[in-house]
Amino acid sequence: MSATTISSHPTHYEDRIVTAFTMCSIIWAVLGMAAGVYVAAELVWPALNFEQPWLSFGRLRTVHTNVVIFGFGVSALMGTSIYSVQRTCHVRLFAPELAWFVFWGWQIVLILGGLSLLAGYNAGKEYAELEWPFDIAITVVWVCYAVIFFGTIAKRKIAPIYVSNWFYGAFIIVIAMVHVVNSLALPVSLTKSYSLFAGAQDALVQWWYGHNAVGFLLTGGFLGMMYYFLPKQAERPIWSYRLSVVAFWAFTYSYIWAGPHHLLYNSIPEWVQSLAMAMSLILLAPSWATMINGIMTVSGAWKKLRTDPALKFIVLSLAFYGLATFEGPMMSIKTVNVFSHFTEWTIGHVHSGALGWNALIVFGTYYFLVPRLMGQPLHSRAMANVHFWLALAGVMLYVLAMWGAGISQGLLWLSLDDFGEVRYSFIEVMEAMAPYYLLRLVGGLLFFTGAVLMAVNLFMTMFNGQTVRVTPPIAAKSGGH
Amino acid sequence: MTYFLFVGDMLVMLFMFGVVVWVCLRSNRKSIDDAARIPLDDEGENG
Repeated sequence: MSATTISSHPTHYEDRIVTAFTMCSIIWAVLGMAAGVYVAAELVWPALNFEQPWLSFGRLRTVHTNVVIFGFGVSALMGTSIYSVQRTCHVRLFAPELAWFVFWGWQIVLILGGLSLLAGYNAGKEYAELEWPFDIAITVVWVCYAVIFFGTIAKRKIAPIYVSNWFYGAFIIVIAMVHVVNSLALPVSLTKSYSLFAGAQDALVQWWYGHNAVGFLLTGGFLGMMYYFLPKQAERPIWSYRLSVVAFWAFTYSYIWAGPHHLLYNSIPEWVQSLAMAMSLILLAPSWATMINGIMTVSGAWKKLRTDPALKFIVLSLAFYGLATFEGPMMSIKTVNVFSHFTEWTIGHVHSGALGWNALIVFGTYYFLVPRLMGQPLHSRAMANVHFWLALAGVMLYVLAMWGAGISQGLLWLSLDDFGEVRYSFIEVMEAMAPYYLLRLVGGLLFFTGAVLMAVNLFMTMFNGQTVRVTPPIAAKSGGH
Repeated sequence: MTYFLFVGDMLVMLFMFGVVVWVCLRSNRKSIDDAARIPLDDEGENG
């Protein structure tokens, strides 16, 4: 097939946009993790803020979460969903020009949004800190993303809609829904707005958003990634396709109820808290069904695990997925939550999911994807293997440090003297945290170093080639048209 | 209100069981296997 034929009759998959999303995602990963390491260092040495407002923990921590979730994570999800939806539908992307609008729109929102957070503009809602002009821009870009994704599915050449597309589709629809409702606000200036909801309702809507962002973005979206790239990497179909479909519906049904477990013992109705706890426990079933399905898919391909860094990352990410999805429901039990709420245990839980599950599955996917996109072998397999061990050591140190810190905090806070007063002062509890914070910094540094190695490795792979043009199977059989 | 939500909850649960039964009954082994193999045969040739 000649290049001229391709340009006049574009039957090949639109993969240049996937390359663009992948490159930006890697850059955001390095920037976001650097910010995370810096705020971890500030907790050890507070003078590191140099009394500059933009370097303060409050601003940089928000930049860290936004950049890693929406920069690294969502760019990865957009890129991989565009890559896989074309292939699982055997058609070229619907409206590729619109996809480029989505790409540039999303990156501009991230850059300007990050700068606005550094400047101190903050809506005061966790994971939804950007002010109202950004909320509108995000909605426009997201609707366009939905159009290209579902447009591609609508023109598919094969009847079944592969399970990864169900997860990516749920991610797109639910995030649109929760983002729009949670962002409803009354603007009083270009840089300030007030939520349309008040008091307990505002808290409920916020955590309906917040937990479904975790559920449908950090879990559902990345499960879409897993269901496509794990079979590709293991070179075998998913172990039980039926189980994957059943788990999808169980996951979708259960997750939407779980948000109020962030508000246990707060001023919301008792039955809402109990319902959230019950649904969180039910979530264990689809979560572990998915983990078992993924692990069993690799069974029989264990030999590849010895040599293939991409598969090693993906399998380890499944182990952390199992860990985090066991820990989450346990922490939502009200009697456990008395102990764990507001402690560093929650930070450890979030990072066992974010580092262990989300970041590792993206790393594994990129080690698989980038060489194929570029038509080049990976620049250095040895660097990828070093990255794997750095990532594993980093996440383990981080999570163990936060477990230790969280359990210590819980015990110290709940300790009462003979008069029923709290036994330890705030400063005494903070002093007890110091060694754990230092250990967390070391873990974060190891993880960040690995991510930098990956960035160098993948960019060297990219610089040696250009995006390969691949045709759908049907087009290839009919001579490329 | 609590009972109303509980009944609604159970109805959705019933829907879930319905989906499971539907997936199991409507599809045969070949169609399931074919769907599962989609990612393994989704590329033609490199241009």
